[in-house]
Amino acid sequence: MSRVITITSGKGGVGKTTSTANLGAALAMQGLKVAVVDADIGLRNLDVVMGLENRIVYDLVDVVEGRCRLRQALIKDKHFPDLCLLPAAQTRDKDAVTADDMIALTNQLRAEFDYVLIDSPAGIEAGFRNAIAGADEVLIVTTPEVAAVRDADRIIGLVEAFEKGHPRLIINRLKPRMVSRGEMMSIDDVLQILAIDLIGVVPDDEQIVTSTNRGEVAVLDRSSRAGRAFVEIARRLAGEDVPITVFDDNPGLLNRIFGAFGIRPRGSER
Amino acid sequence: MTTLVAIKGGREGLRLHLDEAAVWSDVLGALRSQLNQGAQFFNGARVIVDIGNRSLSEEQLAELMALMREHHLEAAALASTSCESRSAARAAGVVARPVTRSAAAPEAPGDAMFVWRTIRSGQVVRHHGHVTVVGDVNAGAEVVAGGNVVVWGRLRGTVHAGALGDRTAIICAIELRPTQLRIADLIARAPDGASGGHPEVAYVDGDQIAVESWERYRRSNRNDP
Repeated sequence: MSRVITITSGKGGVGKTTSTANLGAALAMQGLKVAVVDADIGLRNLDVVMGLENRIVYDLVDVVEGRCRLRQALIKDKHFPDLCLLPAAQTRDKDAVTADDMIALTNQLRAEFDYVLIDSPAGIEAGFRNAIAGADEVLIVTTPEVAAVRDADRIIGLVEAFEKGHPRLIINRLKPRMVSRGEMMSIDDVLQILAIDLIGVVPDDEQIVTSTNRGEVAVLDRSSRAGRAFVEIARRLAGEDVPITVFDDNPGLLNRIFGAFGIRPRGSER
Repeated sequence: MTTLVAIKGGREGLRLHLDEAAVWSDVLGALRSQLNQGAQFFNGARVIVDIGNRSLSEEQLAELMALMREHHLEAAALASTSCESRSAARAAGVVARPVTRSAAAPEAPGDAMFVWRTIRSGQVVRHHGHVTVVGDVNAGAEVVAGGNVVVWGRLRGTVHAGALGDRTAIICAIELRPTQLRIADLIARAPDGASGGHPEVAYVDGDQIAVESWERYRRSNRNDP
C-alpha cells in the first residue's frame, strides 16, 4: 500500500525542501520506489537541491493541464533509479492547480510508487492546502526557534482541521551545544508546546549547505550528521523502531541516545 | 432587557435570539446595548439570527443588518418561522432558514463549553458561557467567553473572560503565562517574568486585572461558591 506524505512547516526556510529530498533519497536507499513532488508552484527548489534542474522538460502543471503524461514529467534521480522527481512549474503560480487536481495526481502516483513525498510551500494559503489535499500523513518541520515553532503550531491546527490525522514532527537544525548552554530551545521545550509525536532530530550541519548547493543530498555522504539523521527518520517512517539519536556538533560523537522510551513525545490530543 | 436579546452557543455556532413579541425598536435597543457591552466578544463573529415568528419588513431587516455591521457582527443566516421575514432576508442576500420550535428553547445561562484539546495558534474558541479547556492554550490562540475561563494546562495565548461585560468573571490556569488577559472591558499584558509554577487566578480588583496564586485566592474567597 503506497503512502502519500506531505512535508510542511508554515514558516519558510526551516528545511522542508532539504527534508523532502533527503527523506526521498533515504527511502530509495532502502529499495523503495519513491516519488518526490514539488508543490511549491512558482518557486520551485526541489529540483535544484537534487541537482536535476537541467533535466526538466515537463512539470506538475503540464500534467494537471494535460499537456503531457505523468511519466513524461517524472525525472529519474542521478543516484537512485527508484527515486523520481515531479518538478513544479516555475512560470505559473499557486492558482494553476486545485486541491482536486492534487488528489487526482497523487492517486496516479500511488499506482507506481511505494512512497509519494510532497514538498509543501510555506504559508497557510492555497498552496499549502493543495499540498496536503492528497496526503495520508503529514510531517511538520520546525527549527528550535520561537517563530518557527509558533508557525508549526498554527499548521498543526490546520492539518488537524483538514482531518489528516496526527502529524509528526522533525526538529531541524538543532545545535546541542547551544541547548546545553541554555541559548536554544531544547527538544523538550519544542515538544511541550507542540504536543505531537517526534519522528526525528536533525542537527545543524554546515555540510548540508555545501551539499545542497552542489545538488547532492546529504544522505549520500556517510560522514554527514544531518544525512545520518535523515536516514534514521526514513527508517522510522518505514515503520522500523529506531531510537532517536541526537548527533552532537562534534562529528561522529553521539551526544545523547534516547531509548525507544527515553524520549516519549506526548501524544497529541487524546 | 436581557429577555429581549439572548445569545447562546450551539452546534452550529453562536445564535442570537431576538424576542418575537416585543416592540421591534425595543428589541433593537436591547441588542444595541448588548453589542456595546460585549464589543470584544462579538467582533468578527458570525451568528445565526433567530427572530422566531416575527414578521420583519425589508426596512426592519436593513436596520438590523446595519446595526450588526456597525459592530462587525456577521449574519451567517436568519432563522424565522415567518415566510415574510425569510423572503426579506433573501432579498437582502442573507441565508434564510425556517426555525424548528424545539431548537429555540433557551439554554441555562450558566451553560458551559468543554474543550478537550490543545488550542493552537490561530484557533479561536468563542462561547457565550463558561469555557473549560483541558489542554494548553498556545501563544497565538484565543479564547473568548461570556463567563469564566478555566485552563487545565498552560495558558500562553490570549483569553477574554466576561466578554459580554461581566467583571466578576475569572480566568484560571495551571500555568498562567498568557500573551494577554482580558476580563470584560479591562486588558492586562502578561506580567514580566515567568509564572510562579503553580496554578494562578486572574480576576478584577477595582479597575485592574489582578493575578494571584490559586491558594491565596481561595483563602481570601472562602465564602464564595
